[in-house]
Parts: sequence; structure tokens; C-alpha cells
Amino acid sequence: MMQTLRKIFPYSVFFGSLLALAWAISFGNLPPADFTFVNGTEIQSVDPARVTGAPEGRIIRAIFEGLYRSLPRKGQPNELEPQPAVAESCTISDDLKTYTFQIRPTARWSDGTALTAHDFVWSWRRFLHPETASEYSFQLHYVVNAAKYTAAAVEPGDRVEIELTDRKKPYQTFPRGTILAGKLVKVQKPPQPEATPAGNRKEKQTLLADWRQRWIYTVEVKPMLDGEVDWKSSGNVRDFCKISDPHLTPMTEQCLHVLPHFESQVGIRAIDDHTLVVHLKNPTPYFLDLVAFYPLYPVNRKCVETHGTPAWTKPHNIVSNGPFVIKFRRIRDRIRLQRNSEYWNAASVQIQVIDALAVNSDTTQLNLYENDQVDWITSVPNSIIPELEDRNDLLKSPMLTTYFYRVNVSRPPFDDVRVRQALNATINKREIVDSVTRAGQIPARSFVPPGLPGYEPGLSGAFNVKAARQLLADAGYPEARGFPKIQILYNTSEGHRDIAEVVQRQWKNHLGIEVELKNLEWGVYLDAVRTGQYDIARAGWIGDYPDPNTFLDMFVTDRPTNQTGWSDSKYDELIASAAAESDPTARFDILRQAEQILMDQQPIMPIYFYVSLNMVRPYVKNFYANIQDVHPLLILQVNPDHMHNNLSRRGLQ
Amino acid sequence: MLITLWSVFTISFFLMRVVPGGPFDRERALPEDIQRNIDARFNLDLPLHRQYGAQLWNTICLDFGPSFKLSDYTVNEVIAEGFPISASLGIIALSFAIILGVTAGVVSAIRPHSLSDVLLMSLATLGIAVPNFVLASLAIVVFVFVLPWFPAAGWGSLSNIFLPAICLGAPFAGYIARLTRTEMLEVLGHDYVRTAYAKGLKQRHVIVRHVLRGAMLPVVSYLGPAVAGIMTGSLVLERIFAIPGMGSHFIDAAIQRDYTLAMGMVMVYTVMLYTMNTMVDIAYALIDPRVTIE
Repeated sequence: MMQTLRKIFPYSVFFGSLLALAWAISFGNLPPADFTFVNGTEIQSVDPARVTGAPEGRIIRAIFEGLYRSLPRKGQPNELEPQPAVAESCTISDDLKTYTFQIRPTARWSDGTALTAHDFVWSWRRFLHPETASEYSFQLHYVVNAAKYTAAAVEPGDRVEIELTDRKKPYQTFPRGTILAGKLVKVQKPPQPEATPAGNRKEKQTLLADWRQRWIYTVEVKPMLDGEVDWKSSGNVRDFCKISDPHLTPMTEQCLHVLPHFESQVGIRAIDDHTLVVHLKNPTPYFLDLVAFYPLYPVNRKCVETHGTPAWTKPHNIVSNGPFVIKFRRIRDRIRLQRNSEYWNAASVQIQVIDALAVNSDTTQLNLYENDQVDWITSVPNSIIPELEDRNDLLKSPMLTTYFYRVNVSRPPFDDVRVRQALNATINKREIVDSVTRAGQIPARSFVPPGLPGYEPGLSGAFNVKAARQLLADAGYPEARGFPKIQILYNTSEGHRDIAEVVQRQWKNHLGIEVELKNLEWGVYLDAVRTGQYDIARAGWIGDYPDPNTFLDMFVTDRPTNQTGWSDSKYDELIASAAAESDPTARFDILRQAEQILMDQQPIMPIYFYVSLNMVRPYVKNFYANIQDVHPLLILQVNPDHMHNNLSRRGLQ
Repeated sequence: MLITLWSVFTISFFLMRVVPGGPFDRERALPEDIQRNIDARFNLDLPLHRQYGAQLWNTICLDFGPSFKLSDYTVNEVIAEGFPISASLGIIALSFAIILGVTAGVVSAIRPHSLSDVLLMSLATLGIAVPNFVLASLAIVVFVFVLPWFPAAGWGSLSNIFLPAICLGAPFAGYIARLTRTEMLEVLGHDYVRTAYAKGLKQRHVIVRHVLRGAMLPVVSYLGPAVAGIMTGSLVLERIFAIPGMGSHFIDAAIQRDYTLAMGMVMVYTVMLYTMNTMVDIAYALIDPRVTIE
């Protein structure tokens, strides 16, 4: 028996290996796409409410569409402007606070059903819902009571909605459990816990969140009449609490959420199928830009509620409304998009099939491009930029992104504004962009990047060694005597290290202070900056919408984005009054004053403004560089001859 | 095996949690209540020992849960897509390494110290010495740009597989070649080989039936480490050639603190290494006539 096994063994191994080899080299036939681009990292999701990154944005802009869409301006294609998309028009009230959108009657979902104003109400409610935990939810907080809805902020007297604990699947927010509506009578709060003095911010927040869970809400639940809440009649008074332990009264019912009543409180209403009315807290001149931004794109209610999250995002389940639909996805390989024949403007979309490749490495991207395997790459390795400088297929454009250093003003010696100014005045930013980054970046003296029409940024002090030495002496450190050793913190990356080394040398040479460099891996670095465990920390900020406010709002006292410990009441007032100002020129003037304070006080030191680098084949039409680095796929055109060439070249692929 | 898996699970679980930074760290801090909702969805709100228990139970049920970072997918789906890709890359690299390595070793051993021997063995040494990512960069320059034979990167057709497979297999081909040559030379000196020649057998017959069989034993036992090496080596190469296999998923999972995905990957790698080593042991027993099977 064993002998036969021994005899058979070599043959079985041989044939087994042959079979394995045959399996390994068998590939399905993949017809090439008409247009292929490198999308960077693998996307986290195609759910517009749950993502923030640029690669995700490119896919979501292709498969979904909002009321408006950012497209190149006619005559000035290098500027983007929001143009009507699902909405065919928008009327703005005289006080600039009410926007009425007319939904296009031809707007449809990819399953052929009509897209209505109710889809937007539902999608925005989902977007704002605390359980969706959308990082971008603040983009809709300009709407009346929207921020309260996300924060679940309710007060006695408010109309509230209560979700009971009878969801079909507890972790699926939609479809929701039974919703009751009523008037909040009172909130019984147990005594607020005292945080131990030694406890850090995180522990304090946990304590407070635990405490909020124990609140008991007394609500007069109103009856329903013809599918509407009957606010006029009186209802039953019931007690609700988010945890099951009824610690005060035995009658307390458990609930999942107590939120402001969406239909009557939040300023988003569908008047009929084709009219959506949005009420804003303040005139927001960039509201149409926000509406055109992908987190506010609608998702299909039926699709989400039938399949649940994340199953609804699968290519065979998803229902979308953009110019393209997802044909298939291969993780960390590619997403194949196909033209959506149900799209209202499908006739204007020229490209039929698009491949978005997930490639992490910049070098690999360039290899693919140089080998004619892709038509567009979204980043270029820094080291090779000087050699590509003269090529006409390298598109370079300043971006709405600033590279800057945060200063921890709660730590001496940085609590002295003169020290911060001295440090800023001795960074030679020109040297950094010329000798380190070398991709045409622009040295920064302001925090808001240039290129926003009508806005003149407030400037920080220029490079001036003499003045800086004087400032340092005034602060009590003549010739840096007694100045402690300071540390620059950055997340691990060669680029950040090179810049930090230059700054280190400049401060040493010009001011004579000792600087230490410290790098941390991304997650750890974020943690350190958030908890204030740093002296000076590298940071970058990408503007979310083309308006100075997206930058300046970050440094209002106690904003989660502040992270410097800096606080200035004048600054906070200016930012708040800019939000209430309806005259655009006056508003920009207020914002400029605010930026001037920020630049004088210097809790941050701007280093340079980013440039976006794209390489795109010359035969791709309608591709324009712009400060938001957004390149709509639906308007791209590829010369058919080249498409044909592509096919033969891709024979390789 | 179960004990191995359990200890690997435990060590990785705690290592992942000990490293500072979590999967949902981002530059914009979320309000505490919203962060709680996210944590609750992924069981991150439980005390550590209960997280451990829950994840261990799921792992035993072969359900690694949803991926934290690829939020449209579960870890099982990621493995189901990534594993076949890495497997076919590995199989081709290993086949290439064995075929080339054994052939080169035999050719060298038949005429030791001849020109072909010196040449092949220098190449083999070079193959062992040059790390695979250096080889990959060179190969891209030569076979993609100078000679436009292969695509630079990507996955989806046969032509995509050659460069990565060759770069992955090269060091092992080199090692196998040297191993085969040494063993062949030793076996050639044995009495039974001389007997075989004395019987008047043809050289080919002697080499294939008698010498090679004896010389193969160390090569077979080397296959265990070779498989391990190919699996770990593909981590880097998948990155360079943008191959959507297990290696790419593993690296990204580790960098992005995707706890569940990283755990899934570690478990699959452990099972693979364990199985491969066991299979090599069995093969060894079956090939070597001196081992008695009970």
C-alpha cells in the first residue's frame, strides 16, 4: 500500500503542480476601458455620507450627482463654478437665507425611477443623523437646526422625534424603528459627574457622554392624523431614556435617539416632488458650492433600506443617479465605470467605459503613465518633477491647500507672541519650496491660499532675521540665552522630514536655538497633536469649499480643528459676524481682518501652498487645472482615433 | 496547529491594541457622541478582554467581521478576492524557481568548473544577493521601458504576471540552483552511482533516475522556507507592481490600523505557512526511500 503511494506520489505531485500552474495562469478576458486613470489609494466607500478623501470624491462625483455640480466656468475653464445639475434652477430669497430648488423632471435613478425632492430630504436627514457619523456633516450645519439634529441637542418646549428600539437590525440606522413625535416637556439629568483634576480631556468627554446617556426625557407624545403629526391635540406624557436601566422611575421606556423633529424643525422641506426649499441660519454665499460638494449628493432610499449598509454599495445592488454606474469593483485593483443611460444628460457624456485604478505608489503611477497603460495620473513623484517640468502633459495648478506648522501656545515659551513671530520670521519659505519641495509650490505668508476671486489675504511677517532677533530678545531670550530646546513634530514621511530639517537649520543659524525633530506614524501623530503633546507640529489643510471661511473657521476657540490652544475673542467675533454678513465685499473684509489677527498672533506658521500635479494625455479634451483639483469625468472627451490606439496598445494589458 | 493559531491570534491582537493610534483617528476630531456610535458599531467600546473574546469567537467561526477601512467590504470578502491573486503569483514564482533552479543546478553539476558552471553559479549568487525590490526596479527599466515587452504594473492578464513572478522567484531559483549543484556533486561521488555507470546505463538515465532523486531531498526540504519566503517577499513586490493581492491588503491594513483586516491576514498567513511546512514534511517522507512509513 505504502509502496504504491510512493510510486504514485511523484506523478501526483507532477500533475498537481501542472494543474495549479494552469489555474494560476488562467485569466478572464477583460475588455479594455476607453479611458483609464489612476485614482490613488483604494477608496473607503462609495457612500457619499461616509467618506472624505479625494479618491472617493472622484468616484462619487462620477456615480452620483447633487442639486448642483462644480464644472469649469464658461470662458474661464480654470475656475470651477456650481452649475445646475439635478436641480434645473434655484431661486434665492432677498434676505439670502432661503434657497428654492426646482428639481429637473427628467432626473432619474439608475433603476429608472424618478428622483424627487423627497430623495434629498431623506438623504440629507441620513447624512445629518448622529448614527451616520458623517465627518462632513458640518457642511449642512448652515441649515436651520441641522447642527442640533446631528448633535441631538433638544430643550424643553422643542418638538422632538423619538426612535424606539424596535429596529429590524440594531446596527442598521435605516430603516429606522418606530418614530414617535411630540413635545419635550422636561429633561431630568442626574448630577453632572466631576472630572478628576488629573483626568485628561478624553476621560472627561467619556464621563460626560456616559452622563448624557442617563438623561430621562419626558415627552408629550402627539397622536398621528392622516400620516401627519397632530401638534394641536394633547397627547400622552411618556418618559424615555437611552439606556435600559430605569434608574429613576419604573415607567421609563428605552429609546435609541431623541432628536429635534426633522420635518418641522430642520430647514429642509419638500414642497412637492419637484420643489425643495432650504432655510439657512445665515446668508451663506458659498451655499451652492456646498450643494455641489459630493457629501450632499443623494442616495436611493429604497436601495439603502432594502440592502442595508454596507451591502447597498455592492455593484449589483447600488442604485445611483450620476453620469456613470459601477460595473464592477476589484479591491485595490480597479473600479470599472460605465455610462449611465438613465442619466438626464446622458447624451452629453462621451466616454462609455472608465477604469479607475487603485495604485498607491507614485513611482508605479508614473511607470503606468509612461508605459501608456493609463491616460491620467493624479500625483507625480517629487524627485522627478524637475525633469518633467518642460512637458506639456504635466498640469500644475495652485491648490486650495496650505502646509503649515501649528504652535502649541499653551506651552512656554510659545505662549509669548513675540517668540512665535520670531520663529515665523526666520523660516526662509522661499528656500523650502526651491530646494526641498521643488514642484513650483508657492511660499506662504497667509493662511488662506491665493486664487479666491475678491479675497485679499491677511499677511504674516516677512522673512527678517534682524527683527526676529530683536523680538526674541524682547521676549527675554537675548541671543537665545535660556531658550529651551524645542521640538518639531511631523508624521513619518521623507517630505516632511526634509522640510523640518531645513527649518531646524534656519532657526539654529538665525536665532541660535536648538531644535529637535520627532517623527511619529500617522495615527500616533494625530493623537499627539490632538492631545497637545507637541511644541510645533506640521499640518496641512485642504479647503472644503472655495471660500476663506473653510480655513479661518478652523481656529475659532475650541474648534476640534484648532488644536493649538489658541483663543482670541476678537477673532471669534469676527468669524461669527462674517457668517451673518450678507454683503459679499464687506464679508471678505471682515474675514481679512480675522486672518490678519491670526497672522499677527501666529498660533500657526504658514509654510507654503500646495500645487496639484496631474499628468494627462494631450488627446484628452476638457481637462482643466483648477484650485480645487476637481476634474469632472462626465465632460471629458477622448478623440476616437486615440481610443482606437489605446485598444491596440492595451493589448498588452 | 490550533495552539499555534491561538497564540498568533493573541499576540497579534494585543500588539495591535498596544500600538498607539486607532483606526478612526483623523485630523478632524469627531464629537464624542458620534465617535461612540462608530465605536459601538465595531465593538471598540467594550473593555479589552471582551473585545478579545468577541473577536476570538468570530475568528473561530471563520467570520473576521467588517473591514474597518474598506467599509464596503467584510474581511472575508477581501481575503476571497486577494488570496487567489497572491496564490497564483506564488505558484508561478515557485514553479519558475524550481524549474530554473534545478535545471541550472544539474547543468552545472554535470560539468563542474566549466564555463557554463561558473556563469550559472555566478548568476545564482547574484540572484540570492540582490533583494527582490532592486531586481524589480531593474526589470521594469529593462523589460518595460528599454524593451517594451511587458506592462509596468497592474493585474488582469497573463502578461501582468511575468515580471513580478520572476522577480519574486529569482532569489529562490538561485538558492535552489546552488543547493542542487552541491547535492548532485556529492551524490555523483557515491558508490551506487558508479555501480549504475558500471552497469552500462546511459548518463541521462543515471542522472535522472538515481542522482537527481537523491539530490532532490534537500531541495524538497528547502521548499518549506521557500514558500514562506515567497509569501513574505510578495508583500513588497505586490506594492511595486500594484497587484491587488494579500500583500497589498496586509500592508495597508497594518498602516491604517484596520484591526479586523490585519487579523484576518495574519491568520491566513499562519494557516498557509503551517500547511505548507506540513506538506513538505509529508513529501519528504514519501520521497526519501530511507524513511520508513508507518
